[in-house]
Amino acid sequence: MTSVPDAMDDLVRTLLAGDHGGAVRATDHLLAGGATPRAIVTGGLQRAMDLLDEKCTLEAFNLLEIMLVGRAVSAVVARLFPQGGDLAAPARGRFVIATLEGDVHDLGKNIVRTVLMGRGWSVTDAGKDCPVATLATAAEREGADAVLISGLITSVVPRVREVRAELAKRGLAHLPIIVGGAALRQSSPEDLNVDYVAQDAFDGARHLERLFGHRPAEATP
Amino acid sequence: MNGRQRILAAAARRPVDMLPVMPQIFGHAAVLAGIPLADYLGDGELVATCQVAAWRHYGHDAVFGFLDAAVETEAMGAEIAAKPGCYPHVVRSPFTVDADFAAVAPPDPVAAGRMPEVLQAIRLLRAAVADEALVVGCVQGPATLAAQLVGLEQSLFLAADDPAAYARLLDLATAVGVRYGAAQLTAGADLALIFEPVASSTVLPLSKFTDLVLPRLRTILAAFQRAGAVTSWLHVAGASLPILPFYSEAGVAIGSFDYCVSPIAARRAAPTLCLCGNIKPLSFVIDPPAEIEREVAALRAAMADGSGFILSSGCEIPPEAPPDRVMAMMAAAGRGGG
Repeated sequence: MTSVPDAMDDLVRTLLAGDHGGAVRATDHLLAGGATPRAIVTGGLQRAMDLLDEKCTLEAFNLLEIMLVGRAVSAVVARLFPQGGDLAAPARGRFVIATLEGDVHDLGKNIVRTVLMGRGWSVTDAGKDCPVATLATAAEREGADAVLISGLITSVVPRVREVRAELAKRGLAHLPIIVGGAALRQSSPEDLNVDYVAQDAFDGARHLERLFGHRPAEATP
Repeated sequence: MNGRQRILAAAARRPVDMLPVMPQIFGHAAVLAGIPLADYLGDGELVATCQVAAWRHYGHDAVFGFLDAAVETEAMGAEIAAKPGCYPHVVRSPFTVDADFAAVAPPDPVAAGRMPEVLQAIRLLRAAVADEALVVGCVQGPATLAAQLVGLEQSLFLAADDPAAYARLLDLATAVGVRYGAAQLTAGADLALIFEPVASSTVLPLSKFTDLVLPRLRTILAAFQRAGAVTSWLHVAGASLPILPFYSEAGVAIGSFDYCVSPIAARRAAPTLCLCGNIKPLSFVIDPPAEIEREVAALRAAMADGSGFILSSGCEIPPEAPPDRVMAMMAAAGRGGG
């Protein structure tokens, strides 16, 4: 029988190949061998995301390959938490993400969500075409550590500038606001009244690691 | 030289009398004229009126017979919707990935959806500007239209999971582009710009571009040439440096490059191409005119040899851009702002 370390390597390899069927089979093998879901998240999914981050940094971001890995990650998460349990409930940070009112594109947002989930963060998706007040309410309700915004079209810039004030109405002016996407990454944090403009999903994830990565994850099954 | 002659000379890398300027002014022409974008996007006559007014106002070198990126897919049965002041987006794609793409006929540009409005706009533009400005039509590139026909995520998964089926989808998109573009040329366009953002290197791996997209771009451009196109133009937004070296072999004369691509690197990657770019689109919304002038000056310095370069925005000038920013670009180009 394959050892747990070898099986974990199989999981990482199949994830990076975007082989979602193979990734689920490797996950089943690990569970049968006694690995916990948390160990599979940290030893498999997060490792794969780290390696993907390195690859994308070296060879430039490539949406198709990211999507294939994301599909495999989602399949593994569904296998590990079939009841839809929160992958990262006990983890280091909790974020709320949206595209703002007027912007109906959500592929970029979905990629960021998958990358962060694969790293063990908790992400609440407030959806696309989301009013600023709805996003702020979601951040309050979820006890978010940061607010993330993806934007593909330039017309959402005025909405982005409103987010800080909307958070302040709820006593959340201190929350970091991190934005990205084709339109927003052309701008600066000062101009958008946000804390960080990410150049891609991995850049955003690295910034969140810098902000919250020092927090210890709670012990979990 | 008039604008048309200037662009054609630049495309052929011949000397020009002054810097050619061809900003992607689409819906901005409606905003400039005080016309609701939704009205503009459904009325070819209004498109022609607003485009001519913008051309006279700014003094750039081309007019665009183009509505929005959803025209083809809407003509093929997609359900579309638009937020106020925004371009339409596809709510429901016309096909699923298991459709028999080989059995689908391209839509008739004379009758399908808003395609006739585009043809009407082109006819009126040609009549209005005669040969003084380049009259540009537009078709969606094969990878971009394929993404609209089944959904972006679905099309990319299809490319990975079933390359043969994806190739049939691309063939359908190619046939649509050939037929629609030829109709635009017959209506009086000088060329049909191929708008292909999904071919960006941030979306598709290079191998998918060279193996699947490039041959179909070659097919489309050859068909356009047979239909009378006076030159050719490919626009891929975002990262394009890895694919720029392949443009010339596809028959591209003018290649756009977006703000995120260094002009020096672009020239090195495609030494025989006429490059068209690359002022940051959002600058036209958020930066003062002086910043636009600084960007133009830096770009002109980078393209110092002067041949085979057309000043433009890296992608579309946002419709909501204040007109003084576009005027600043014209002035910095030595074009006097109209």
